[in-house]
Amino acid sequence: MILFFLCICSIEVLHAQNLQLKFVPFAGKQSLVLMDSTYHTALNEPITFRNFLFYVSHIQLTNDKGHTVYLNNAYYLLNASDTASLTIHLPVKPQSIVAIQFTIGVDSIKNVSGIQTGSLDPMLGMFWTWNTGYIFAKLEGNSPVSKAPAHYVTYHIGGYKHNENALRVIQLNISKKQWVHQIDIGADVLAWFNGKQPLSIQEHPICHSPGKLAMQIADNYAQMFHIIHVE
Amino acid sequence: MKWQITILTIILFVVIATGFTIHSSKPTPLVFKVPPGWPQPVYNFKENPLTVQGFELGKKLFYDGRLSKDGNFPCAGCHQQFAAFATYDHNLSHGYDNSLTIRNAPALQNLAWQKALMWDGGINHLDAQPLAPITAPNEMAETIENIIKKLNADPEYPSLFKQAFGTKEISTKRIMQALSQFELMLVSCNSKYDKVMHGEAAFNLPESLGYAIFKQKCASCHKEPFFTDFSYRNTGLPMDDVLQDVGRMKITEKTADSLKFKVPSLRNVAVTQPYGHDGRFFFLINVFDHYRKSIIVGPTTDSLLRNKLPLSNYEIGQLTAFLYTLTDSSFLKDPRFAPPGYTIIPSFMHVH
Repeated sequence: MILFFLCICSIEVLHAQNLQLKFVPFAGKQSLVLMDSTYHTALNEPITFRNFLFYVSHIQLTNDKGHTVYLNNAYYLLNASDTASLTIHLPVKPQSIVAIQFTIGVDSIKNVSGIQTGSLDPMLGMFWTWNTGYIFAKLEGNSPVSKAPAHYVTYHIGGYKHNENALRVIQLNISKKQWVHQIDIGADVLAWFNGKQPLSIQEHPICHSPGKLAMQIADNYAQMFHIIHVE
Repeated sequence: MKWQITILTIILFVVIATGFTIHSSKPTPLVFKVPPGWPQPVYNFKENPLTVQGFELGKKLFYDGRLSKDGNFPCAGCHQQFAAFATYDHNLSHGYDNSLTIRNAPALQNLAWQKALMWDGGINHLDAQPLAPITAPNEMAETIENIIKKLNADPEYPSLFKQAFGTKEISTKRIMQALSQFELMLVSCNSKYDKVMHGEAAFNLPESLGYAIFKQKCASCHKEPFFTDFSYRNTGLPMDDVLQDVGRMKITEKTADSLKFKVPSLRNVAVTQPYGHDGRFFFLINVFDHYRKSIIVGPTTDSLLRNKLPLSNYEIGQLTAFLYTLTDSSFLKDPRFAPPGYTIIPSFMHVH
């Protein structure tokens, strides 16, 4: 009887174990420490970070047969200040996969249909009230080179309309194919400043609305992800 | 055997009674009537079906100062029923800690037909609108978290949310949907003008002459039946050097939209003074004078106004007479929209 019970338990444990995505905030090659360490951007501007958040959605896996494994359409708000938020438990079992794809941002339909709930609740502060729409990603801190009040640096990136679209799709390949149950993905905040259009804090300490600058920064942070570990 | 039957009967009765209670606790649907001849509303009622309980909850929230940081600024503070839910006499709205907004509070009426809210059209859904004044530091200066805390601590609100939405949960979405339910019902369609259109009343001579002038000179922007075409236009108002308000351009970031503001409805215009996006015109005559004398033609000034809008004193008199027929006193005094628990003073007690 006890043996039977143990068997049931272990089966339950196996069932409960889902494929996990774990995001790890980085600043260059070091782990990101908020409100403490000073880092330097590609243009050698010093910056201390206070907040780092972004929405992940439309997660898709590609299995070793090349088929796409569609998952739910859930939205996850990842917050560097909240470790629990950085791990996403996908509603699938560990399996053999060769690539992962996800979107940084919030679909246009969710930007135009009133008030959403859960991770999209406007109460969470990732929402522009005066010009309706979600902030897809947020990076805030201080830099002595910033000319904004109190030397703040605040990048609130979003935009769902035509010509303002800051939605970015990320595709990452995975070399280890067998029975993947956890993927650790690095998210490097310094990538916001590098890339196609290097971002100068002195020139642009603030981005608070959709538009050209927001799209350039989104292009930059679309390159911030890399696979650090697969098990 | 007999006592078993009795017990069974009691159990059956309880089950049925419970069923009835659950059934009767469902909110009562509220019918939204589209006035005859008006287009279908743009608001999606399927996402937020109107109910008596939802409407009443929305009204309570609308009049509740606790939606603001210090309790002094309910929605109704700047949206007064007797002013068609605009603010009587204030050019700019007064907010938390002696602050001012940069724009005049517009009338709240016929909101179910508005695709976008605010003078600059920045808000794309009625449910999302209250977030802006609630959280703005120069308006209600409150956070949604605090409001939810305050409402949860109230002896009445949780059960009112249950009556309206099925459970006691108080969330951003439910607060906003309840407010929308109240605001959607603010339909003004019963002015003398409407009665004339339905053949139930007749214009007097100045009114009918004014209506003819209106159709000729004003109606291309202030389009019937809403008396706005909901477009954004630059009517040649020079930018206020303190407010520095570029209007629609703030939202679209296009220079072509500089100094454009939404065409306001003229329904109830006689009670919504001051006028203009920053309330710079305290009387209707100031607006007419602007159109005939003071339009500043710039790169984005509306093509219809580039040669100003010639109006004689005679025409202004007739137009004013016509505009007064847009006052809907049944809307301004509708007890359904008055503060909860408010009793209307009998007319003979009014002191004028």
